Amino acid sequence: MITFNINGKEAEVDVDEYTPLLWVVRDVLNLKGTKFGCGKAACGACTLHVDGEAVRSCSFAVKYAQGKNIKTIEGLGNEENPHPVQKAWIEEIVPQCGYCQPGFMMACAALLNKNPNPSDEDIDNNIINICRCGTYFRMRKAIKRAAEIMEDSKMNLE
Amino acid sequence: MFRKLSLPLLIFAFVSFLVFGSVVLSKEQLSETDIKESSLSESDENAILFNTVMDVLTHQRCINCHPSDNVPKQGEDSHPHRFDITRNNIEAATNCNTCHQASNNDFSGVPGAPHWALAPHNMQWEGLSRIEIAKSILDPQKNGNRSHEELMHHLTEHELVMWAWEPGKDLNGQTRETPPVPKDKFISAVKKWIESGAIIPENKN
Amino acid sequence: MGKSKKFSRRKFLVRTGLGSLGIIALGTYVARNPLRRSLIESLESKVPSYKGRGSEAALWFELTKENKIVFHSPKVEMGQGIFTAFTQMIADEMDLRPDQIEVRAAATETGIIDALATGGSLSVASLWQPLRELAATMREMLKNEAASKLAVEVNTLKTKEGIIYGNASSLSYAEAAADVKEWNVPDTIPKPRTKGFKYVGKAMPRVDLKEKVFGAPLYGLDAEMPDMLYASVIRPGIVGAKFKKADSKKAASMPGVVKIVQIDDWIGLVAKTFAEALAAKDSIDVEWEVSKKWSEEELRNTLKVGKGEKFISQKEGSELDSESEEVLEMEFSSPIGAHAQIEPNGAVADYNNGKVTVILSTQAIGITQKQIAKALDMELEDVNVIPTHLGGGFGRRLDTKHAIQAVLMSKEVGRPVKYIFTRKEEFQNDMFRPPTHHILKGTLDKNEYINSLEHHYASGDVSINSAVQAPIVKTIVGMDLGAGRGAKIMYDLIPNRRAVQWHTTLPFATSWWRALGLLANTFAIESFVDELAIKADKNPIDFRLRMISDEGNGKRLKKVIQLASEKGNYSEELKNERAKGFAVSMDANSIAAHVAEVSIENGRIVVHKVTCAFDCGMVINPGQVRAQCEGAIIMGMSAAMFEKMTLEEGELKPTIYGPYEMIRIKHAPKEIDVHLIEGADIPLPVGEPPLGPIGAAIGNAIRRLTGIRLKDMPMQEALDLALTQNV
Repeated sequence: MITFNINGKEAEVDVDEYTPLLWVVRDVLNLKGTKFGCGKAACGACTLHVDGEAVRSCSFAVKYAQGKNIKTIEGLGNEENPHPVQKAWIEEIVPQCGYCQPGFMMACAALLNKNPNPSDEDIDNNIINICRCGTYFRMRKAIKRAAEIMEDSKMNLE
Repeated sequence: MFRKLSLPLLIFAFVSFLVFGSVVLSKEQLSETDIKESSLSESDENAILFNTVMDVLTHQRCINCHPSDNVPKQGEDSHPHRFDITRNNIEAATNCNTCHQASNNDFSGVPGAPHWALAPHNMQWEGLSRIEIAKSILDPQKNGNRSHEELMHHLTEHELVMWAWEPGKDLNGQTRETPPVPKDKFISAVKKWIESGAIIPENKN
Repeated sequence: MGKSKKFSRRKFLVRTGLGSLGIIALGTYVARNPLRRSLIESLESKVPSYKGRGSEAALWFELTKENKIVFHSPKVEMGQGIFTAFTQMIADEMDLRPDQIEVRAAATETGIIDALATGGSLSVASLWQPLRELAATMREMLKNEAASKLAVEVNTLKTKEGIIYGNASSLSYAEAAADVKEWNVPDTIPKPRTKGFKYVGKAMPRVDLKEKVFGAPLYGLDAEMPDMLYASVIRPGIVGAKFKKADSKKAASMPGVVKIVQIDDWIGLVAKTFAEALAAKDSIDVEWEVSKKWSEEELRNTLKVGKGEKFISQKEGSELDSESEEVLEMEFSSPIGAHAQIEPNGAVADYNNGKVTVILSTQAIGITQKQIAKALDMELEDVNVIPTHLGGGFGRRLDTKHAIQAVLMSKEVGRPVKYIFTRKEEFQNDMFRPPTHHILKGTLDKNEYINSLEHHYASGDVSINSAVQAPIVKTIVGMDLGAGRGAKIMYDLIPNRRAVQWHTTLPFATSWWRALGLLANTFAIESFVDELAIKADKNPIDFRLRMISDEGNGKRLKKVIQLASEKGNYSEELKNERAKGFAVSMDANSIAAHVAEVSIENGRIVVHKVTCAFDCGMVINPGQVRAQCEGAIIMGMSAAMFEKMTLEEGELKPTIYGPYEMIRIKHAPKEIDVHLIEGADIPLPVGEPPLGPIGAAIGNAIRRLTGIRLKDMPMQEALDLALTQNV
């Protein structure tokens, strides 16, 4: 039995400990927002957070999730309470086919976590997922917009 | 320069010439794996231990993460890490552990071991000669301020070093190449070499 | 006015027990001979309209008791934004708010099957008229029902946001439709509006935006069926390899393995989880019969101008005298391209008591249904194909016959099966963009304008041997129409013009890839035209404009060229070590021109800005048309600059992202400035045409910057090579 917290809820799964977390999240816990793209940690579609860090879940044995906090796109935010990245994604109308987008949003949220005001270079070095539709142009705008939204909400709190 | 060399060494030199087209043979190239029993002088023995250690440290399993240009390398051909990963990623949101975990992943073919990381800035071995690498690992300024004893423990016990003999499968399911020296031989060579003073053979090239 | 027609409300229509509407409209809109029409229209590059099959009642619209309209779309959403455009079109014709409309890809059991599939950037263009006519008809029918329920004259009724208002009373559409057994279908189709649009023509967020941002399970691979198993299939790595035998003893005893299915030349592993199926797959030893191992060199020697089937598709004036010293000649090439869509192919299939249900991401709903029925010797109506949103299409999913394997595996295990491709399977079993080879020849006249321009090009299959095109088309047309996209010389004042196709079917499948031949053909032609402008020492914009008449699309073409060069401040001069490159293309009457601002930094091509002028006729949603331009530019850059599959020892490689180099956020232009021109009063293709000129625009900038003419895609590799050779 492997237990962890996912999107604020405790989960207990009985699977082979080397099963990639991706398949546990998608098929055991039925959270389909985390996507299978390549299975080789190359495209980033399966990116989620483990204790706040971006992780490619196709290459993450579920045993390493033991006792950790997992967050997927479903837990990042929702319509009532969207994450700044999701807000910005909606404002800039980023997705096209949309398949890679949860992975990108999770990677961007992790970036903003560490670096609330990323430069273009920071974006280039950290956002290395692949989008086939070519939404990168809007994505860069959305990342910067998300940083602004975060800054604004911080000021509002102060 | 061949005066001191024994017959097996000469045979090795000849074979090495045939195989590698090498025209110069120095003590740097003597290796325990290639040389059987023979009566050797102390310095020859040290050279063999040294080269046994260096056969491993110069292998791509080690060098790939000791780059001199801040770009980790991948694969048997030591190509630059895909997706333009550099040393800048170490502290970044997208870092080694975004993909690499504490063990190899047979599903993704992504290698992993505890403390998976790029060697620190001052431990750049890529492109260095055996002697230069040896000088580097013995230099407290460059080896994380380790004593010989500590260095020995690091080289013979650290999980990330030991990973080189269990490097797992690549993305095509092919088992990665291990260093040319078996792990136990490497460990014993490291111990003997360091215990006997960690002497770097003179380069007589 | 109304004439009573009967049509059955089939069982499946009734979901809520109230007001599901079907409309008999197909017969009205389907041509007598779709094949012939398709042929002629393709040749004339006009927009073909919807080509459904059958004349029985089909479920286009469904009305729910919440007074929402569900539109069962014959076209699928793969990112191109058509569900949003359809919503806007329906909203205007039916007097609904967009949030009162839901667009859903039609399952085959609805009867709405488009023989054209979803491709060719034709979805909005081809449904523009029929969908609005249907919507307007439906509104009239609802008004008729309301009139009889309210006992008033129909012409006194008004509609607004799904409510039908009489003088004193009102009914919702759902109330008007309630309990109707037989509908009055108007004899004449009400004319859709031509002006006064409330939604058409205005930017509006994608209707699927929030679902996509919050991670809703929209895609084929997200689908599930009760009691479902997972499957993986072993396919050969070497092109043309035939299955000989396999040792699957070890795999059979691996954890979770339910069954190892061996049918014809493939092996399927069915397991309780996908990870278990993959693990078991790795432990099977397969012996393949390999009769030949293709090399890249051999491929290039096979695919060459002068080899294969020749077809002259353009022949104006006289042929060039190749011996003449005046002739400038250049060779260009493009590599094998992979679709590399991020959602792998797959299918969730259930074979149960002679009935099949398949849920999958497909661009070819009807074709997939036929393929399954044929393979299993079943009646079409016993096969229901349910399409989902696609995690990228780009032409890859115009052939989804892997659904057959999913069905066969389900039949074998007696349970639903979800079959998923591995990424390696994707890269090695793609329906690739064929490699191309081009020879351009040209001469200048005494005024230094082009006198002769010839484009000789070789390509593998695009539309020939495609599941989407009937084999007879090749017999009649004689050429590969897809490979020929953008292959003709569009500068009509050049007296002597030729486009000559050399077609060869390659040993691996090649087919549709976003914009088909347009990218490579435009890369070759527009690079060469630029080279001729340099030879003539003329401004390349003026040079082009002078070679276009006012006939046909000439005026539109000139306007696009002028607008792009003006907005992009085109100049031949370098500024801050950056150069600008210009190129233009016309595809199915849509015209796109780009100005690319480029520099080279540490040997790497950097595209800073792309200014795009695009005339795609009437624009339904400017926001999404812009998104398509941005996406086409970026995807085109990826193909033109980085991507390349090669044959190594008979295997197609690489098999993974990374080694298969693709554009990432760091390479994408930080500025993309799109200017739309509505040069026609109907919508024209959007998704593919802006991909055309990007390769040539970048190449032309690099030529100005370095003097180097890059003649081979991918251009970064060509530049690396050129810079090494120059050293």
